[in-house]
Amino acid sequence: MSTPLLTGRRLFKAHGSTPALRGASVELHPGEILAVTGASGSGKSTLLHCLAGIVRPDEGTVEYAGERLDEASEARLGELRRTEFGVVFQFGQLIPELTAVDNVALPLLLAGTPRQAARERAIAWLERFGVRGQEALRPGEMSGGQAQRVSLARALVTGPKVVFADEPTGALDSLSGEQVMTALTHTAREAATAVLLITHDAQVAAYADREVTLRDGVLAAEAAEVAR
Amino acid sequence: MSVELRLAWLLTKDSDRRERWRVLLTALGAGLATGFGLGAVAVAALRGHHNIALASGLLNDQGERSGIVFTLLLLLVPVLGFLGQCARVGAVHRDRRLAGLRLSGATPGQVRRIAGLEAGLACLAGSMAASVCFVPLLLHLWQAPPATVWVAGTLVVLAVPVLGTLVSLLALRRVVAEPLGWVRRVRPRGKRGLGLLFPLVAPAGVLVVGMLVAPRSFGGFYTSPALVLAVVIVTGLSAVRLSGVTSRRIGRHLAERTGDPAVLIAAERLRDDPWAAARTHAAVLLVTVVGTGFMGVRQVLLDTLRLRGPDTLAADISFYTTGIDLTGAALLLALAITLFGLAVGTAESLATRRRGLAAQAAAGVPIAVLARALLLETALPLAPAVALAGLGGMGISTWYALLADTEGTSVLPLVPLLVPVAVYAACILAAATSLPLLRRSVRPAELRYA
Ligand SMILES: Nc1ncnc2c1ncn2[C@@H]1O[C@H](COP(=O)(O)OP(=O)(O)O)[C@@H](O)[C@H]1O
Ligand SMILES: [Mg+2]
Repeated sequence: MSTPLLTGRRLFKAHGSTPALRGASVELHPGEILAVTGASGSGKSTLLHCLAGIVRPDEGTVEYAGERLDEASEARLGELRRTEFGVVFQFGQLIPELTAVDNVALPLLLAGTPRQAARERAIAWLERFGVRGQEALRPGEMSGGQAQRVSLARALVTGPKVVFADEPTGALDSLSGEQVMTALTHTAREAATAVLLITHDAQVAAYADREVTLRDGVLAAEAAEVAR
Repeated sequence: MSVELRLAWLLTKDSDRRERWRVLLTALGAGLATGFGLGAVAVAALRGHHNIALASGLLNDQGERSGIVFTLLLLLVPVLGFLGQCARVGAVHRDRRLAGLRLSGATPGQVRRIAGLEAGLACLAGSMAASVCFVPLLLHLWQAPPATVWVAGTLVVLAVPVLGTLVSLLALRRVVAEPLGWVRRVRPRGKRGLGLLFPLVAPAGVLVVGMLVAPRSFGGFYTSPALVLAVVIVTGLSAVRLSGVTSRRIGRHLAERTGDPAVLIAAERLRDDPWAAARTHAAVLLVTVVGTGFMGVRQVLLDTLRLRGPDTLAADISFYTTGIDLTGAALLLALAITLFGLAVGTAESLATRRRGLAAQAAAGVPIAVLARALLLETALPLAPAVALAGLGGMGISTWYALLADTEGTSVLPLVPLLVPVAVYAACILAAATSLPLLRRSVRPAELRYA
C-alpha cells in the first residue's frame, strides 16, 4: 500500500472535562475516500478538526505529507486549509451575502487570482456540479442540495489534496443527499483527491472505499484491540 | 397578549449571562431616556423666575429653560436608537430559544411580540430605577413640586417601557425566527412604507415639540430654533438617505469590480442591505450635523461675547459660557450614546454570523480578511454621509456667523471642520471594539452547530 497522505496517531482531545478523543489513530491514503462513522457524540467532528488543522490535539500527532500539523503555526495551518485542504460542513460554509460564483471564487481570490479569472474557474466548477445557471443566486435563495453542491465546488476549486466533509448531507433529503454524494465521490475520484467523510448514515458511508467506526473517542477496531 | 407577557417574563427571569448583559444595556438606555424625560418635565413645569443653584443659574429664566427642555428631548433621539440596537442584539442571541418557541408552535408574530415585550420589561426596570434616583434629587431642589410634575413624571416613567417595546418591535420587524434555529432578516422587497415612515415621523414629532417649547423671542425668524432644527433634520435625513443610496451604489460598484476578498465581502453585505448601515448611522449623522453646527455657532458666540466686553452683557459671562458648555456636554453625551450603539450594532452583526465566520476561518479565510471586511462595512458607507452631514453643519454655522455679522469673527470657522473627521474616526474605533469578539467568534467551538 502507498504511504499515507495524512496520519493521526493516538489523538487525545478534551472539551473542558468532556473527553472527545481518547487515543484515536487514523490513516488516509492519497486519493482514498474514507468514511468515519459512529454515534452522535462519539468524537467524529473533533477527529476531523484535529486532522484538518482546525484544532490542535491535546496529545498525539497529525502528519500531513511529512509535515507535523500539531506543531505547525496558525499561519501555516491557515495556508494549508486554504490551498491543500477543502472543507464541507453540514451548512454554514457559504457566505450568505455572496453569490454562488463569488463564494466559489473566494478561495482563488484569497490566493491572489484576478477577479475575472477566478470567476471563470468558479463557473466551470459550478457547471461540473450541475448548478450552472444559478451563479447569481445567494445561499438563502438556493435549495439545501444546491447550496451543498456549491459548497463542494468551493472546497474543490483550488484543487486540494484532501477534502474534509463533516456530515455533508446531514441537512438534506435522501435524493439531494445522493446527488451531493455522487458529485463529491465522482469528482474526487477523477481528481484523485482524498476525502475524509464523516457521517452517521450507512447509505452515505457506502460511497466510501473504506469505513472506520468511532466509539467514545477511539476507533472501534482499536477498542477491540485494547479489550483483547 | 397576556400569554406572551407571561412568556416574556419567564424568559427574562431565566436568562443566561449574555442575556443579562443585554437586559442591563436595555435598562440603561431606558433609564437614560426616563432621566432626560423627567428632567424635561420638571424644567418645563417651572414658571417665572427662580433662583436655582444649578449650572450658573441657567435654569432661572423661562427662555433658557426652553432651550434646556429642547436639548433634553433631542437627547432622546440617540437613546431611542440605542434601545433599538439592544432589541436587535437580543433577537440574535436568542435565536435558538426563539427557534424553540417556533418549534413549539408560536407564530412569527408572537415570537416578535415576546421579544418586544422582553425589551419592554427591561425598559420598565430601567425607568423605575431612574425615577428612584430622580425623585430625591427633585425633592432636594424643589420642596413642593406641583401635581402636574408628578402626573407628567408618572406618564414619562410609563411611556418609556411602551416606547421601548414599540422601538423593539420596529427594530425586529424584519427578523423571522425559523423553527430550525435560524433567525434571519427578511429582505424588504418592493414596498417599504414603515421603514421610511419612522425616520420621518420621529424627527417631525421632535420638531413639533421643539416649536411648542422653543422661545420665539430670540433674534427673529432666522435664528429661531424651529428653523435651525428644521435645517438640522432635513440635513440629517438627507444624510441618512444618502448613506442608504451610497451604501447600495458603493456596494454594487465594488462588488462587481474588486479583486480583494475583504472588500468583496463588505461590498456584498452593503448591497444586500444598504438600509441596515443607514439606520445604524442615522444617529451618527444627526450628531455630526448638530455637532459641526454647534462648534461653529459656539465660536461665533464666544467671539461676539468677548468683543462686546463684560459691561454690555446682561449677565455674568460665565452664564453664557456655562450654557454653551452644557450644550457641548449634551452633544458629547449624544455622541457617546451613539458610538455605544454603533459598537453594540457591530458586535451584534458579528454574533449573528459567528457560525458562518467560524466556518470561513476553518476553510482558511484569514482572520485579517474578515476583520478588514468588518471595518470596511462601517467605513465605506459612512465616509460620504459624514462628509455631507459635516457640510450641512458648516452651512448652519456659516449662516449664523453671517447673521451675527461681527467684525473680527472668521466667517468660515475652521474648528467645526474637525468635527466630521473626529466623528468618522470615532466610528471606526467603535466598530474596531468588536475585533476581539471576532477572534472569539471564529473559534472552532462555534463549528459545533455548523
Ligand atoms: N466545543 C465543545 N465544547 C464542549 N464539548 C464539546 C465541544 N465540541 C464537542 N464536544 C463534546 O465532545 C464530544 C464529541 O463531540 P463531536 O466530536 O462533535 O462528536 P460527533 O461529531 O461524533 O457528534 C461530545 O460529547 C460533545 O458533546
Ligand atoms: Mg459532528
